[in-house]
Amino acid sequence: MRPFKYTNAKDVTAAAKMLAANPDAKFLAGGTNLLDLMKEDVEQPNELIDITRLALADIKLISSGTNKGGTSIGGLGKNTAAANHPLIRQNYPLLTQAILAGASGQIRNMATNGGNLLQRTRCSYFFDVAMPCNKREPGSGCGAMEGINRMHAIFGWSEKCVAVYPSDMAVALAALDAVVKVRNASGQERTILLADFHRLPGDTPEKDTNLSHGEIITAIELPKNNFADKSYYLKVRDRASYAFALVSVAAALEMNGNKIAQARIAMGGVAHKPWRAFQAEKMLVGKEATEANFRLAAEAEMADAKPLEHNKFKVELGNRSIVLALQMAINGGKS
Amino acid sequence: MEENESPQLTKDEKKLFEDLMPEDLNEILVHGVNRRHFLKLMTLAGGGMLAWQSAVAEQVLTRPFSALTSSDFSPANIENGVNLSFKVNGAAKKLMVDSRMTLLDTLRERLELTGSKKGCDHGQCGACTVIVDGRRVLSCLTLAASCEGRSVKTIEGIAQGNELHPIQSAFIKHDGFQCGFCTPGQICSAVAVMDEAKNGEVSCVTEDVRQTASPIKLSNEEISERMSGNLCRCGAYPNIVAAIQEVHSGKEVAQTWEFRG
Amino acid sequence: MQEKEKVTGTPVSRIDGILKVTGKADYSTDHPVKNVAYAVLFKSTIAAGRIKDIDTAAAEKSPGVLSVITYKNAPKLNLKGGIRGGSMLQSPDVEFFGQHIGLVVAETFEQARHAADLIVVDYEKKEAKTDFEKLHQQGAKPKDKEDEKRGDVKAALDSAEFKVEETYATPIYHHHPLEPHATIAEWQGENVILYNSSQIINGAQNAAASTLNLKPENVRIISPYIGGGFGSKGGQWGNLVLAAVAAKMVNRPVKLALTRQQMVNSVGLRQRNYQKVALSATKDGKLASLSHEITTHSAIKEEFVEPCGDCSKVMYDVPNLLISYRVVAMNMILPTYTRGPGKSTGSFALESAMDELAFKLNMDPIQLRIKNEPERDPSNGKPWSSRTTVQCLQEGAKAFGWEKRKAQPRQNQLGNELIGYGVACGTYPAHQRPSSAIVKLKRDGEDVTATIELAAADLGTGTYTILAQTAADSLDLPIDKIIVKIGDSDLPPAAGAVGSVGATSYANVVNDACIKITDELIARSGKQFFTRPTAAQLMVSEKVDNIQTRADSKPPENAEDYSSHSFNANFAEVRVNISTGMVKVSRFLAVTGAGKILNPKTARSQIIGGNVWGIGMALTEESVVDPRWGNFVTRSLGDYHVPANLDIGTMEAIFIREEDKFGNKLGVKGIGEVGIVGVAAAVANAVFNATGKRVRELPITPDKLL
Ligand SMILES: Cc1cc2nc3c(=O)[nH]c(=O)nc-3n(C[C@H](O)[C@H](O)[C@H](O)COP(=O)(O)OP(=O)(O)OC[C@H]3O[C@@H](n4cnc5c(N)ncnc54)[C@H](O)[C@@H]3O)c2cc1C
Ligand code: FES
Ligand code: FES
Repeated sequence: MRPFKYTNAKDVTAAAKMLAANPDAKFLAGGTNLLDLMKEDVEQPNELIDITRLALADIKLISSGTNKGGTSIGGLGKNTAAANHPLIRQNYPLLTQAILAGASGQIRNMATNGGNLLQRTRCSYFFDVAMPCNKREPGSGCGAMEGINRMHAIFGWSEKCVAVYPSDMAVALAALDAVVKVRNASGQERTILLADFHRLPGDTPEKDTNLSHGEIITAIELPKNNFADKSYYLKVRDRASYAFALVSVAAALEMNGNKIAQARIAMGGVAHKPWRAFQAEKMLVGKEATEANFRLAAEAEMADAKPLEHNKFKVELGNRSIVLALQMAINGGKS
Repeated sequence: MEENESPQLTKDEKKLFEDLMPEDLNEILVHGVNRRHFLKLMTLAGGGMLAWQSAVAEQVLTRPFSALTSSDFSPANIENGVNLSFKVNGAAKKLMVDSRMTLLDTLRERLELTGSKKGCDHGQCGACTVIVDGRRVLSCLTLAASCEGRSVKTIEGIAQGNELHPIQSAFIKHDGFQCGFCTPGQICSAVAVMDEAKNGEVSCVTEDVRQTASPIKLSNEEISERMSGNLCRCGAYPNIVAAIQEVHSGKEVAQTWEFRG
Repeated sequence: MQEKEKVTGTPVSRIDGILKVTGKADYSTDHPVKNVAYAVLFKSTIAAGRIKDIDTAAAEKSPGVLSVITYKNAPKLNLKGGIRGGSMLQSPDVEFFGQHIGLVVAETFEQARHAADLIVVDYEKKEAKTDFEKLHQQGAKPKDKEDEKRGDVKAALDSAEFKVEETYATPIYHHHPLEPHATIAEWQGENVILYNSSQIINGAQNAAASTLNLKPENVRIISPYIGGGFGSKGGQWGNLVLAAVAAKMVNRPVKLALTRQQMVNSVGLRQRNYQKVALSATKDGKLASLSHEITTHSAIKEEFVEPCGDCSKVMYDVPNLLISYRVVAMNMILPTYTRGPGKSTGSFALESAMDELAFKLNMDPIQLRIKNEPERDPSNGKPWSSRTTVQCLQEGAKAFGWEKRKAQPRQNQLGNELIGYGVACGTYPAHQRPSSAIVKLKRDGEDVTATIELAAADLGTGTYTILAQTAADSLDLPIDKIIVKIGDSDLPPAAGAVGSVGATSYANVVNDACIKITDELIARSGKQFFTRPTAAQLMVSEKVDNIQTRADSKPPENAEDYSSHSFNANFAEVRVNISTGMVKVSRFLAVTGAGKILNPKTARSQIIGGNVWGIGMALTEESVVDPRWGNFVTRSLGDYHVPANLDIGTMEAIFIREEDKFGNKLGVKGIGEVGIVGVAAAVANAVFNATGKRVRELPITPDKLL
């Protein structure tokens, strides 16, 4: 870990200003990803701006604007608090499940909602500075492409990078059409649709998101919806707990009689961003919620998958996981 | 407590340390009794294992001991120093730390609280779990500098004086460990899990997360999931769950071994 | 004074428990040595070649740095001193990825870690042997293992009605004790104290001394508590002596801890094995032949091959047998003993094949095993000192509800889960090793206390407790009057806590010492006694204030006339999610015949611990090498999945009452290792019973069951 200056920001705009002023500075939120990577010498900031004490932890109903009636989650609130807040548990149980499927009790007590969105890939070539990695060191090559890529992407990867984005929380947020609110050094706010927040690797895998240096995540907004009764987060992993997803699926349905009125499906562990299964969603609308229809939708979505040498299983696993998650959702969480 | 220059030990005292803490004897002879020795001795004496030495033990326990190593730590070696004042196990601590120093290393290397363990230093094992402002966190991924004004509880602060916390007693009864290296983290975690259940916090295996928050009665599966952030390589998991369940439910949990044939 | 009830054999809680639950048990780096400097290792990033140059200038200038040590300035060490795996900065040669190539010593850990990142190394690369999948065909006979043959396997196999011929593969596994290897080295003149977790205290002392060109008496190992070892802290590795070297060079005590990531190529591993097993049998299930051909890898210069064929040698009565080993030298860290060395991996192959054979024969796998139960040790014709495999199987079947198992797979489904049952047996040899111990008695009025001293180790196995129990009974003292001092090379030499010899060797020598001191007290009294008095009685009646004696014990002379092993039968119930392939071992039962159980509470923990290890082997653990570089891509506990709490279901342990009269005086057989043997096979067999899928390549991750 390189030496760095430890500073504190007194308010949100000041924090953004401090960050904007130093291209090598980083915000310190829960630190669970940043410190991990600094110890590996992957992240090398020369200044850490501690933002944990900023008043950005509230969870509240949104009383005006496009997302009126929805819920706003503070960017610096802790994952545990978000998962357990009555507004979230009642109205967005999918998000509660996804958060609780990630990491461990201790880590969720530390991790912030903004930090969670910005956590970096767990690709082992990215984590090991002895290995090449275009994301860590543009131009050095991708270790995983021809290497051990069992955990890697089957959708949207590029010749430069096949890493997957690891967050569980963000997969649920993608399914719930969440919006990320950010503020810059001049105090201006803008919103980014979660589905557009993370990027595909393309030629610039070093850029995970569309956030600019100097912007701070102030909140995540969840629009009001009718999915609470029929949603489910399924996570398939190599051990029962405390492991990242091989594949995960956030599924939410709204019924109109015996027909599906709206469907939301997002996948984790398959791409450089939470993967919205738009094709599958489209196919389900207006159909009956039967296993056969779920299967057709899943197959349509997975047909475009491009697996690598060691992760071919993710295609079949993705297929089955979409079906199972939808079944669980329709049954209110029971198989 | 007052600082004390390498106190001379009486013969009895020397014998006491030789018997009870042979691994520390050398250090005690050279540098005197310090806070750590004192705590350890207190535990041994408090455990009632050692009735016969208790007179000598008492004698040692009432003596002042030499100061913390942090005082012989030269600030010249600190880069990007951050002044930190916080509470550890109820006691106010003030020191300057390297901005890079984690809470775990601060406890272990500067405050002589070596109970919290470094199993991975990367958030992947839970051995370093401590309780900060009432919640369990990983001290290896916490910067000491960010603890300004916070209140930290470590394994050394879980017992009330000589009285073990019920979780600690249950771990002994149910053999919730083998090598014991994960144990401080397991116990800090378990103590916090009890509060989390009281607060009605849900977990990944909670059947219905939509129910309104009220104290939750934890099944063994719930305990397992909530404790999954604390790895135990010795595989003491069933015993850990039994210990926690016994304290949580207030009902005795049977210990299951059997002889046949 | 009345003789009190025996405490041996009762579930006494660990006497060191109080220190462990309060955070006061001192592991290697917990010892409060003053004025320590911190050392951080740096490692090679190629698998073969040599260092052309190593630029340490930036590191040396970095704040707080006291010294940077590389092959250029490291003192000359004796490479044949008994430290395993090389990696001691003696030359610029690189033999595996992650070899230690230097260390930085600094005032603080933060400074040392940072400076280590500033080292720049220029390598001359050589082609490296890193791809076992390509190299395994080039295997040669290991130096220390001959092929074992009995009868004519080929003929038996060719003419057999029923046979199974399959290859089973296990990945590289790492020990990953929760306490990473670490040392504090402190010189006092010519002597060095090494606070260092060691399963073999005297072994560590001798290896360190010899490597550092010192006499053993100049080296003291202090290791009262060990944060797990599982074989990796049996032999000692480069880091131990490098700590001593660093401390000498900076003239200060030095603390050197491996990072978790460094563990994967610093302290050994369990090697990858291909095991080809061929079984043949008559239609009523009598085995006609067994061949077990093992191919594995070792390091370039040193060789270690785990004995995967050991179970096959002794488990079944079979007239025709072949066991062979082939090994390829690879640019990889030296493999070493890992819990149940050879037996845990070997039994996966053998016991999976037995299950496959039973299925082909349409026979209950328990019956198949009973049918082939040997009367004597088939490998040497010796009688068993005791063997209760059949009871293990029968009692286990009753307790587990084996009759509920469906003979055909995929017949037991509940909701979205398939349920399956599996069984597998295991064995591990039992030995007593020479050890010495001192017992000291002290009297204060009517109050007698005893201190037991020996250089034994407790790595969570319960040594402290069982020795206190043994001494309490032998001396007739309450257990809280016994102080046990172990884990220090200044104490009388003792066997290591390895290969399940610890409990047997330690308990026997302590018992002998207690008998001896009683004899001495009787002799000193000059009296004749009608019934033999106890030491506690004599201390009081004869008014002895202080007495001590030392015993040096060896296994009984006729022990070699018998074949002495622990045996078990493992029963697993698994639930497999039909959609996702995730497996949970919902119930597990190990029935063990291991002689006298000194403490059922700690014994059960040992067994369960072994079972958890076996479940990890079967389902979650795997170290993966990228052959292009020879590095591990699974270098953290985030990537290498040891089982978490939620992975483990209901675990039960049953012990078969066994009186073993021949192995050693106390009839103790050891349980540290047998607990893992047969476990992975039981799980894999249960997975087959649940799903109809036979997985022959561990671990059984979800992708293998889709
Ligand atoms: C062992 C382990 C297992 C894990 N398992 C899982 C898992 O299964 N599923 C899962 O989803 N996650 C998992 N995680 C990841 C964990 O959820 C993330 O590390 C955590 O959410 C990050 O949040 P943080 O507040 O600690 O972020 P930090 O580490 O503090 O920050 C991450 C990045 O975000 C930036 N940042 C933080 N907050 C803001 C803000 N408000 N505005 C702008 N920038 C900001 C920081 O500068 C930094 O670059 C695991 C982590 C570990 C260590
Ligand atoms: S040491 Fe902190 S989680 Fe392992
Ligand atoms: S007791 Fe050894 S790791 Fe848990």
